[in-house]
Amino acid sequence: MKTTPSKWSQPRNWAPYVFVSPFFILFGAFGLFPLVFSIYLSFHTWDPAAGLAAMEWVGFENYLYALQSDDWLRASLYNTFWLALVSGLPQHLVAMPLAYFLHSAFGRWRNAVVGTYFLPFITSSVAISLVFSTLFSKDFGVVNATLASLKDAPLLGALMPASNIDWAQPQYTKWMISFVVFWRYVGWNVVLYLSAIQTIPKDVLEAAVMDGANSWQKFVHVVLPLLKPMAFFAVTLTIIGNLQLFEEPFILTSGTGGIDQAGKTAAMHMYSVAFTDGDFGTASAIAWLLFMLIAVATWLNNRLLGQRD
Amino acid sequence: MQRSLRTLLAIATLALGTAAHAEKVTITVSSFPDLDRGVKAAIPGFKKLYPDVEVKLSSMAYADHHTAMTTALATGANLPDVMGIDMGFIGKFAESGGLEDLSKAPYNATAQVSKIAKFAIPAATNSKGALAALPVDIGPGALFYRTDLLQKAGVTEAEMTKSWEGFIAAGKKVKASTGAYMLANATDIKDIYIRAGLKDGEGIYFDKAGKSLVASERFERAFDLTRQARQAGIDAKVSAWTNEWSEGFRRDKIAAQMMGAWLSGHLKNWIVPNTSGKWRSSQLPAGAFAAYGGSFYAVPAKAANKQAAWNFVQYLTLNKDQQLEAFRNMDAFPSLVEAQTDAFTDQPIEFLAGQKARQLWKAAADRIPAVAVDRYDAVAAEIVGAELDKVLEQGKDIKQALADAKSGIERRVRRK
Amino acid sequence: MSTSTRFVTASPASVPLPSHSPLPAPAKKRPAPLLLLGYAVVLLGGLLMLMPFYFMFVFATHTNSEILSVPPPLWFGSAFMDNIAELLRVLPYFWNNLGWSTYVALAVTALNLFFCSLAGYAFALLDFRGRERLFGAIMATMLLPGFVGMVPTVLTMSWLGWMNEHRALIVPGACGALGIFMMRQYISAAVPKELIEAARMDGCGEFGIFVRIVWPLITPALGTLGLITFISSWNNFMTPLVILRDMDRYTVPLALRALQGTGQTQWGAICAGAAVAVVPLLIIFAMASRRLIDGLTAGAVKS
Repeated sequence: MKTTPSKWSQPRNWAPYVFVSPFFILFGAFGLFPLVFSIYLSFHTWDPAAGLAAMEWVGFENYLYALQSDDWLRASLYNTFWLALVSGLPQHLVAMPLAYFLHSAFGRWRNAVVGTYFLPFITSSVAISLVFSTLFSKDFGVVNATLASLKDAPLLGALMPASNIDWAQPQYTKWMISFVVFWRYVGWNVVLYLSAIQTIPKDVLEAAVMDGANSWQKFVHVVLPLLKPMAFFAVTLTIIGNLQLFEEPFILTSGTGGIDQAGKTAAMHMYSVAFTDGDFGTASAIAWLLFMLIAVATWLNNRLLGQRD
Repeated sequence: MQRSLRTLLAIATLALGTAAHAEKVTITVSSFPDLDRGVKAAIPGFKKLYPDVEVKLSSMAYADHHTAMTTALATGANLPDVMGIDMGFIGKFAESGGLEDLSKAPYNATAQVSKIAKFAIPAATNSKGALAALPVDIGPGALFYRTDLLQKAGVTEAEMTKSWEGFIAAGKKVKASTGAYMLANATDIKDIYIRAGLKDGEGIYFDKAGKSLVASERFERAFDLTRQARQAGIDAKVSAWTNEWSEGFRRDKIAAQMMGAWLSGHLKNWIVPNTSGKWRSSQLPAGAFAAYGGSFYAVPAKAANKQAAWNFVQYLTLNKDQQLEAFRNMDAFPSLVEAQTDAFTDQPIEFLAGQKARQLWKAAADRIPAVAVDRYDAVAAEIVGAELDKVLEQGKDIKQALADAKSGIERRVRRK
Repeated sequence: MSTSTRFVTASPASVPLPSHSPLPAPAKKRPAPLLLLGYAVVLLGGLLMLMPFYFMFVFATHTNSEILSVPPPLWFGSAFMDNIAELLRVLPYFWNNLGWSTYVALAVTALNLFFCSLAGYAFALLDFRGRERLFGAIMATMLLPGFVGMVPTVLTMSWLGWMNEHRALIVPGACGALGIFMMRQYISAAVPKELIEAARMDGCGEFGIFVRIVWPLITPALGTLGLITFISSWNNFMTPLVILRDMDRYTVPLALRALQGTGQTQWGAICAGAAVAVVPLLIIFAMASRRLIDGLTAGAVKS
């Protein structure tokens, strides 16, 4: 009867492009230039205070320097991965069962408890830095005081250190930072997993109960697999966030990175190369190397946890 | 007839009105705590002299401020009319070329330079000879010590300050009889020693050609003295401005501190106000004269209101009343010589048991060498500090540490 | 029922009206000891979470020398008003700063909620050419470390004349990649494709489908996204650092940091400011958690 309408006159065919366009428009306007600029910059040497005209072409020298001669970059990469692992794994391993426990056993108190766990996430990092440096103070901090008082406890006492821990010492600095990062983000992951658990239909869990599963089995065999998509999302965020970790270690080490660079992350190193060394070119090169690392890590995460559809 | 007269009147009023308003100028001053207190204190006095200039202050945390200023200089956008700069960043900013050369017209500051503490000027002068900023305050280094603790240990001031070995020996005595530490941190010795004994025009970490100076006897001795102090057990191993540090003073655990003269203000105001009268100030040991920090003000080349900005900079740095005001209320040691020689300097300081310490500090300021500043000083300081930590904490050999520092610096500063 | 990797193994159509109360507890008998242990652990963890936050409020009511003393104060003091006075003395525009932070965060959040769910919906449920590639491109942009873009951002804003303006903080972040990622995840799990087809056959326009069908179903995700967007906008300080010049336009993080002096930092005032500044975040959290934790309101579908 009618001639076949052209594909593009049907809204269902062009609407998707309209819907995703805001991102690309904004990115084109505000995201593309910084991207191109930083790539361009990574092939130059530039002291920012000297103004735009001061850029000089150096080819791949920045990259070569970063990869071959920058020992502080290597140290900071090691620190970054260490911190990512030690603070990241517990965030999820604790958050998942905790979310399930909160969902199934807390009733009216659930919101209050979740709120408490979420508080670290919304607290200002300036105030937190003061509080934590006070808490971790070698001679006067609550942490060391608690550890000291635990020395008398029956079992734990044997594990306690003999004298006050100086958290500024390189071997302890990383643990201190990991703890603060864990503290800050575990509640966030609890919220994510909780919202995922909410989407599990009641009849799935009830069916498992009827099949004779107890709480633990329910968790491992029913809930966990269904959490996989959210885990993929949450772990991706943790990877990206931890590999770009800047604020917590910066504040806890007063910007120095600690003795022997123990607390310096890759992002901190990049910042110091840019503003202390006055070398934006190398900083951009490091940024792109970091980007490639994060891309690889995310791709790996995708293989492990990603959805197959 | 009437109408045209009225129109003429209207136009005339308008013209006069706009002419009057055209004078009103607003300048933005970017600074950071606590330097910004000087700006706030200066505004009323400045307004009396220049009623048509409105001064807007914007403050940011120390690091934030310098990051923002670096970005502003990089892009030419959002530059203030007056920029406050700390000693730690003056080398880089002066070298950048983004600040007005105050030695040229219409500023002609070279004539005024003689009124300012001599040693602070080279820091603000870049390698092309341009004067990029004017000093507003200086920090002559001084030694503060607890008279009661030293007395108990039977140590005299002369004994303590005669030489570095004497200082360390005095420290052992103090530790033995009172349990107090002579130093908050042994690294304080390194900081002073590498600055001591330099001549005008010499750099701390780099020479004029840009080569690093760290593998030299001066640094070796600095590291060695620091290690001796650490091994003698006379330092509290705390960093300045931490809880442990201030608590160390409160518990009579730290007997002495080397720092800028402004430390007396802090001690009196909040650290140990109850120990008034038990402190005294002396020159640094072994005839060392060094500056602890210092601040500057500059006018960016791309600033919008340069004349008004320059007027304000002059007011802050060259106006005797303003410099004295800052001296009195903020313990900011004036860079203006005239303010240093004011009667205020001869007044006894109650906290220091009536000592006329400002005379002491002025004498120190006169003898501080005009050290040359390099834009990579911050990098070198970081690397040297890291190597010193390894010497102290991990027993690394000094010569090896300095050799590593030298190669580390050369690697990071590879443009030179 | 297979435990596949998707959130939902059965379509909502086959599920009777779900309640959103937790699992029915067995008849009230003494709770198992393991359960009690679990409660204890969670409680202890909660205290741990709370402690630094608690100290921040306690420090806000003490003077500087009280804070930096040993042992640090454990209970509230009386210096709160003094600290606020000091705060306002150094930051006379603090209330403005709070206002600006709130305004920027609300604007960014509202824009993100709308644009990200729209794009997420398209990626999740609509078929179009290049879908996977476009999505991959969006994901890739999330990986770039932040401050490298500082200088070009300033150049762009200065060219647009947006320097010192808050729209420079709002517009670039109006549609974040994270939000799109999250919405796509959630929508593909929570909204069945059949619903869309059914609505189309009923003659609903594409945008209408989004507004009438999808939007009501994604409330929990909107709550979560709203919360994180608000918080991240609130805490962002890198961009405001280089864009804003006038103190009366600062956002809160920038302002609070300006209290840190070289040498003596007014910790009491900072904590007081931080305590005040956390209140809007708590309000937003209370609002968002009601939507997100109270679960799905998956209406039954009359198919």
